[in-house]
Amino acid sequence: MTVLDIRNISIDFPTSKGVVHAVSDVSLSVPQGRRIGFIGESGSGKTTTALAAMRMLAAPGFVSEGEIHLNALGDTDILSLSEEEMRRVRLRKISYIPQGAMNSLNPVMRVETQIWDGILAHEAGVTQAELQRRSDAVLEGVGLDPKIVGRLYPHELSGGMKQRVCIAIGVCLQPDLIIADEPTSALDVITQRHVMQTLREVQARIGAGLILIGHDMGLMAQSVDDLAVLRLGELVEFGPVRQILENPQHPYTKELISSVPLVGGESFLDPTPAEVPKGFTTQDGTPLLELRGVGKTYGAVTALHPMSFTLDGAVPKIISIVGQSGSGKSTMGSLMLGFSPPSTGEVLFKGQDINRIGKADQLTFRKQVQAVFQDPYACFNPFYRVDHALKFPFKRFGLAQSEDHVRHAMEEACRAVGLDPSLVLSRYPHQLSGGQRQRLIVARALMLSPNLLIADEPVSMVDASLRSSILKNIHDLKDRHGISIIYITHDLATAYHVSDYVMVLYKGHVVEAGPPKDVIGDPKHTYTRLLIDSIPWPEVGRDWGSADDARAALDELARIGGTPRTVYRGDIPGFTLRQG
Amino acid sequence: MGRIPASYMINRLLTLFLTVFIAATLIWIIPRLSPIDPVDVMLGRMAAGGGAIENSGAILTQLRESFGLDQPLIVQYLLYIKNTLTLDFGLSTASFPTPVAQLIGQALPWTLGLMLVSLIITFIIGNLLGALMVWENTPRLWKVAIPSAMVMTAIPPLLSGLLLMYVFSSQLGWFPLTGAYGLNVEPGWDTGFIGSVLHHGFLPAMSIVLVTFGFWALGMRGLMITVQGEDYSVLAKAKGLRPRYILYRYMIRNAILPQVTAFALQIGGLVAGQVLVERIFAYPGMGKLLYDAILDQDFPVIQGLSFVIILMTAIAVFLVDLVYPLIDPRIRHGRD
Repeated sequence: MTVLDIRNISIDFPTSKGVVHAVSDVSLSVPQGRRIGFIGESGSGKTTTALAAMRMLAAPGFVSEGEIHLNALGDTDILSLSEEEMRRVRLRKISYIPQGAMNSLNPVMRVETQIWDGILAHEAGVTQAELQRRSDAVLEGVGLDPKIVGRLYPHELSGGMKQRVCIAIGVCLQPDLIIADEPTSALDVITQRHVMQTLREVQARIGAGLILIGHDMGLMAQSVDDLAVLRLGELVEFGPVRQILENPQHPYTKELISSVPLVGGESFLDPTPAEVPKGFTTQDGTPLLELRGVGKTYGAVTALHPMSFTLDGAVPKIISIVGQSGSGKSTMGSLMLGFSPPSTGEVLFKGQDINRIGKADQLTFRKQVQAVFQDPYACFNPFYRVDHALKFPFKRFGLAQSEDHVRHAMEEACRAVGLDPSLVLSRYPHQLSGGQRQRLIVARALMLSPNLLIADEPVSMVDASLRSSILKNIHDLKDRHGISIIYITHDLATAYHVSDYVMVLYKGHVVEAGPPKDVIGDPKHTYTRLLIDSIPWPEVGRDWGSADDARAALDELARIGGTPRTVYRGDIPGFTLRQG
Repeated sequence: MGRIPASYMINRLLTLFLTVFIAATLIWIIPRLSPIDPVDVMLGRMAAGGGAIENSGAILTQLRESFGLDQPLIVQYLLYIKNTLTLDFGLSTASFPTPVAQLIGQALPWTLGLMLVSLIITFIIGNLLGALMVWENTPRLWKVAIPSAMVMTAIPPLLSGLLLMYVFSSQLGWFPLTGAYGLNVEPGWDTGFIGSVLHHGFLPAMSIVLVTFGFWALGMRGLMITVQGEDYSVLAKAKGLRPRYILYRYMIRNAILPQVTAFALQIGGLVAGQVLVERIFAYPGMGKLLYDAILDQDFPVIQGLSFVIILMTAIAVFLVDLVYPLIDPRIRHGRD
């Protein structure tokens, strides 16, 4: 039985610059109980198509052609329903699990009230006792304790718990179809596995169809039966997920599959050139960066336990810091940038304590240590053109000799990150894609020829196909420009490929450290092993475990307490690490 | 709704006292930084009235003594703090020898009544209109009418007051021109008096509401746009909730929170009244008192009024701090 039938729909967004065809002529149907994945990059129309089935397209978008049928409504096209009729279809027949797990719940309402109001909007005369019974049942169904969680407010829940509450809301009226829009994109891998397995379990229990929207090929392989590949608003390939993964037909699908960096897989980087430029050296052997017993506490919370390392910088290195959110990895980045002083210990850059240097030296420090952050949208002042953003620090640090020199330096930096200077320099940030912006930030850092680059999650917000090319740019900074890099990430696969040394952080402790082939390729510490096990593999045959496995993994994680001893997995020249 | 823990209460109370204390000290210090000697000014005023004055030196000394200005600064300060604590602001120089506290005591209820009522009306109307500007189910006519009405925000209250006076008093004769109550009624808690007060208060209140609702409406509009883009508003729609329910329980309920803080800050300010509005309607409130005191250089009254304004602001902020955890659960738990 077909639950949802999308017939030849096209979706248009009229704008002042003409009509944008967000989706063109897509047809697809969802059988009962089956899981369909929509995969594609941002702008591919995957969310737009799904939202059209909810009749919730953002203005001014509208369905210009085609029909959408819901089995529960018989022969009626849902596009012809009145607004009030459509309201009664939502949640009862089609439910939606949103992307932003963090903000999807009303912050001033208790969790159970937010389940009740959904029920009450569709069913009249439900008693309070009945409401309580039903909200308890659905919360239990997603593995939450209704006695405790039901009475809480959203801010008292973790990201994974919030997303499970959203799943509970989505299934409380037993809909025919569930649309889950990147339900785990804001979660770390361990929690992702738990939430995803919970969703599958609940969906199978009520027998609903599921549309899972996402961009992660691995997650799709582990979660869905059929896969729809969308690109620029067109459905380029549709079929059973195994068939698509093993025998992709469309070149774009092949590209999507091959662009996923895998632990132990083929490297996406260019081979290292024979001659790597020299990094930073001094006569007396002062290291580039040294942390001595550096720890950070915020009130009663310890973000980072005291640790020490030395990076000599003579031969440029990429040091990766991996961990899930809250592990203290970003705290480390901000300590190294001197954005916040450590609670204990000192951070030395070229032998000087960066928190005790004078104004003039501070300027030199800022020039020599550059940063690339996670959000390429927030890193540009929207009022200035791109050339201003690149020019400004260059001039401010006194590197400019003449206007020609500045222009030349900008163009060179753009080319180094694979951008055409004549196309990007005169634009405003909002006219560029996320990937282009992130490359420009790398270019801006490069122009100052720093000794050290701190890259905090530089690719987590850009599309998968762009990730490897931006990482390639960053890797080139090391290979061609002699810059040492601290790469902070939650993504083990990229850390595996780009880095010379990996530190795994858990609750502010370095639990395992060493060359990536050992640490990520063959983890020894429980936590690292859990991380690796939780990665969804883009192979259908590979078992991702059940919801129970995921729960057991979380329990195991909870048992890691006290001060775990760092598991050292070998050394590399030019870098030493110590606990305390 | 949870109970307010003692530690939080103590913390807030201490902040309240400290704020008032620092402010009172500043009010005392600032005039003393000025090179103008109040005794000179007073003498000058006397001289202007009565020509040359004999023994001016002796009079100066005597005046200094009677105002306590011959005492060391620290004694003067301590005396001031003691007097302030007992709400003794000295005697008005313009309406000598009426105590300042008595003048303020007479004016305060009028202003509080007028301003509080108009502030509450503006708060409700302004926020509701602001919310309707954003809500997707607002009738199209309203979406045009509300921003058009915002033109009135550009009018100073003084002018809107005169306009209302002209139309509704002079021309139509619906409302009395000035004053707080009719000459034919005796103050007291009877229907005649209360009716007269409401009748007299209507025009001044309207002149304030008309020009200030735009402040709330525009602020609310901005907040509503933010809330509308929040994921929880999207999910609310996806849950098939009724549009009106989403408007009140999801959107306004969240957007209103910062407005409550703004409301508290306005309560402090409203004690000073809309000076000119009170003036043109000859309304016997704090605004008129302040206006007259400035004209007459009546420093004790100005000082006393300043202190009362600060006290009211601090109390209003204190009350919001107590109320806020009840309306925003994130604050309640955030302090643990």
